[in-house]
Amino acid sequence: MVSGSRLERLLRQGEFVVCGEMSPPQGADKASILKKCEYFRGYVDAVNLTDNQTAIVRMSSVMSSVFVIEGGCEPVMQMTCRDRNRLAQQSDLLGAYAAGIRNVLCLTGDYQSFGNHPEAKGVFDLDSVQLIHAVADMNAGKFMSGEEIKPPPAFFIGGAANPFAEPLDLRIIRLGKKIAAGCHFIQTQPVFDWPRFEKWMSLVRDEGLDQQVFILVGVMPVRSVKALTYMRDEVPGMSIAEEYIKRMESAQDPKEEGVKICVELIKRLRETPGVKGVHIMPVMWESITPRLVEEAGLLPRPEPITIEEPAEPEPAETTKDA
Amino acid sequence: MSKFTEKIAAFTERHPTLYRCVVTGENVFKKAIFGCQDCGQCVLSYNAFVCCMRCPKQMRNGPCGGTRPDGHCEVYPNRHCIWWLINKRAKWMRRQAKLRKYHVPVDRRLEHTSAWMNMFAGRILPIDLSRELHEVELPKREPPPKR
Repeated sequence: MVSGSRLERLLRQGEFVVCGEMSPPQGADKASILKKCEYFRGYVDAVNLTDNQTAIVRMSSVMSSVFVIEGGCEPVMQMTCRDRNRLAQQSDLLGAYAAGIRNVLCLTGDYQSFGNHPEAKGVFDLDSVQLIHAVADMNAGKFMSGEEIKPPPAFFIGGAANPFAEPLDLRIIRLGKKIAAGCHFIQTQPVFDWPRFEKWMSLVRDEGLDQQVFILVGVMPVRSVKALTYMRDEVPGMSIAEEYIKRMESAQDPKEEGVKICVELIKRLRETPGVKGVHIMPVMWESITPRLVEEAGLLPRPEPITIEEPAEPEPAETTKDA
Repeated sequence: MSKFTEKIAAFTERHPTLYRCVVTGENVFKKAIFGCQDCGQCVLSYNAFVCCMRCPKQMRNGPCGGTRPDGHCEVYPNRHCIWWLINKRAKWMRRQAKLRKYHVPVDRRLEHTSAWMNMFAGRILPIDLSRELHEVELPKREPPPKR
């Protein structure tokens, strides 16, 4: 056990976990976060809080994670390298741990030109692999400078993987690098191309990477065929199978069809060896999460059996004796 | 590197005019051939001799999630993703094992300095022409004196 977070305990217990995702508000609005927590409490094991996703300014992921804890859910705080240099990242992580945040997802971040401040300077002081390494170092009681942290944080460290972007073989190498850097769990981009996902997953299994890290696979409920074609044409690194576009086009009620597709995918992922959970990312449609979890047969959510305190750092005396 | 190369580096760094000549010479050569971005800590030999610092996000450990299906960059759709190029070249040169190397964060103090002299002084990874991946420990050294 690294952090003792609910997500970690459930994963180590061998449960099939469910993560949700919430976009923090584009305003100084705490109430809307607490309201959205209703859709997640009791339905998912942890909620991702995005960090200025697609480079659009929103409430900081650190503060919204704190509000999510207040709302009775467990947050997975996302942290990108686009907006902060290594000093800010480390100081935010210390604050986040002190505020009770135990899961952190390390990302490189979308390029600033995609967002609402395209004229901004991107930082990219570290990349996501280096950030994972830095957080692992912090868990071990060391800043990036090598100086000691007293007391050190204990994060459950996550990374992202995109099974759908080219080049596939390099993606596997990069996943291995993230694991070597100290990553504990992986969340992927949403699946809309099953053959490609199978291919990626079999490569992951061949390398034995699924034994070294918990892989949570993304799924996304879509409300219209437009959302799918937009992702296919405008979002780089996404692959959408024609099958789903046709199904959404011919559907009487596209919303219902979107839910059906998503539930089907979750059920299929449950059967896939090496997949330890799903990550539901309903972009601006958080209210659908309870229904998806229920229809996929993932209710009631299990409670972690062992209620342990996070591992205490060894007292200084014993290390001196040794 | 060796004591001899360290002496060369120290001598060059003591003489600003000579140092500037080395930097200019290196830039002319590397910019023309590799599109060098002057980070001062060259990892070309690990990346199949394609400069990864040309990536808009300066990714040193592999591609971001935005590579397009045709291998183009998400930020500049008319350019290839640097890591797509690195992977293609590495396959062709049979140097893919080298891509497994974890690269430490960029030392921003070394930007716009001579990577050759930094290598001679033992501040950065030495050029490694072998196809296999050997883990190299970086010696801890002081940054170059201010000029």
